[in-house]
Amino acid sequence: MSMSVKDRLATNKTKLSKKPHITVETDICDTTCTHKCTTRVCPAKCFEIVNDKMAFQYEDCIECGTCLHACDQGAVSWKFPESGHGITFRLG
Amino acid sequence: MEDEKFDCIIVGGGVAGCAAAKVLADNNMKILLVEKGEWTGSKNVSGGVLYGPTPWEIFPELKNTLENPPFERFINRRRLSFMSDDSSFSIDYKSQKYDNVPYNGVSVLRSKFDRWLGEQVEESIAKSDFAEDSFVATEVMVEELIIKDGKVCGIRAGEDEFESDCVILAEGVNSLLTRSIGLQKEIVDAKYVATGIKEVWQYDQDLLEAKFQLDGLEGVSNEFVGCTKGIEGGGFLYTNKDSISLGLVLGIKDLRDSNETVYDLLDSFKDHTSIKPLLKGGKMVEYSAHVVPVGDIDMIPKQLYTDGAVVVGDAAGLVLNTGKSIEGMNLAMESGRQAALAIIEAKKKRDFSKASLKSYQDRLSESYVMKDLRNFQGAFHFIHNPDMFKKYPDLVNSIMNDVFLVDGQEKKKTRDIIKKAVDESDLSYWDLMKTSIQGGLSL
Repeated sequence: MSMSVKDRLATNKTKLSKKPHITVETDICDTTCTHKCTTRVCPAKCFEIVNDKMAFQYEDCIECGTCLHACDQGAVSWKFPESGHGITFRLG
Repeated sequence: MEDEKFDCIIVGGGVAGCAAAKVLADNNMKILLVEKGEWTGSKNVSGGVLYGPTPWEIFPELKNTLENPPFERFINRRRLSFMSDDSSFSIDYKSQKYDNVPYNGVSVLRSKFDRWLGEQVEESIAKSDFAEDSFVATEVMVEELIIKDGKVCGIRAGEDEFESDCVILAEGVNSLLTRSIGLQKEIVDAKYVATGIKEVWQYDQDLLEAKFQLDGLEGVSNEFVGCTKGIEGGGFLYTNKDSISLGLVLGIKDLRDSNETVYDLLDSFKDHTSIKPLLKGGKMVEYSAHVVPVGDIDMIPKQLYTDGAVVVGDAAGLVLNTGKSIEGMNLAMESGRQAALAIIEAKKKRDFSKASLKSYQDRLSESYVMKDLRNFQGAFHFIHNPDMFKKYPDLVNSIMNDVFLVDGQEKKKTRDIIKKAVDESDLSYWDLMKTSIQGGLSL
């Protein structure tokens, strides 16, 4: 029954923008942040620890807003993708 | 259309924005509804059940669609399940009293439903005096509000600027524009919001109807508590036409303070003995997530208006959690309607100042939206007692297990079963008494 997040995301349609709509100051995550909660709360697994460092990618983002509200360290700058880009849900 | 000034620009093609736009267009206002997605609803997600008569009043066309409705099913069966790791106890109510239009609730898939709402707005525009001058514009991402002399007077999207007498902010819970003009705090605390994470599972329609005992257009809604490993929140399962919406809503502050991962929590919910067999024969066809206000009145801005702008729906934090159901979309639509009516008045007075738009908040205060929100804050706090998410569901299941147990031993009376279960739980009789009194008073 268990599916990987990648497989789950594959059911969605996204028109990728070249510009990232979310930027993360990963220095904050790597130094002062003690919980690194975004690695657990982002439903699209956009935040991962790779070689002991926070790695963020916006490509899989489904624009839910969880990281905008979960990060209490001021590391996440959050916007929607530019006009005509990002996630499209067929069902929603 | 750049040279033309609109009476009102509505930012966001969700249920609140479409409701507001519909009422404005029906009242001959010159409007622009902007939506950042490909169509109204294309980026929208909810559980979701839309409750009550509000949508039927604002969109009376709904009742002509019952052969092929834009919603999924009407809800005439409600279940609330208390889950422990290996058991589940449910309250189950079905009634034909819920079988008639306007339905008590309908399940919706927002990308389909809000698209239909947007089409209705276009039809209302076509019948209005501004058939050529009012618009529903998609793929328009509003980057900022235009402010002149302290008054909101339009929007900017990329190179394009559009002017209006006022703006309705219906941008949803990730309310960047609302925050940019100080109507909402710049940082909304994690305790006020939850993450909804959802999968849609599709079935052959006959199989779905057999599995969930559905006849015709009827549907079931099932909410779950105890399936979140103690984290604030719960689960949901709603039947759609040929699919189900299945997921969890998880308090973001609790999630942050835990060691849990959202998709692992979802997997463990799906593996529960009362869910797993339901998924057999189905196919996961869409994965989505969205932040949702938890229903704390403290999140709602004290002032929902400013010079030239009002805020509605999730952007205003209008979600009602009564412990019996979670209502958000109907409140959003009602707030959209009240905002539209206030703006129609403002147009007559040619006054879109703060003092004039205050009538929106007055109207909302007098409507069921704020009345229910005020009356049920006790319920909200009652069900956000942390024991509700684990200890009580475990206790209920522990009692029910012994109630139904036949093990060849001398049977215990119910009184002794309850005593044993309470003694084995982390809850005291004092906790139980306090909880029953609070529950009795608040729910």
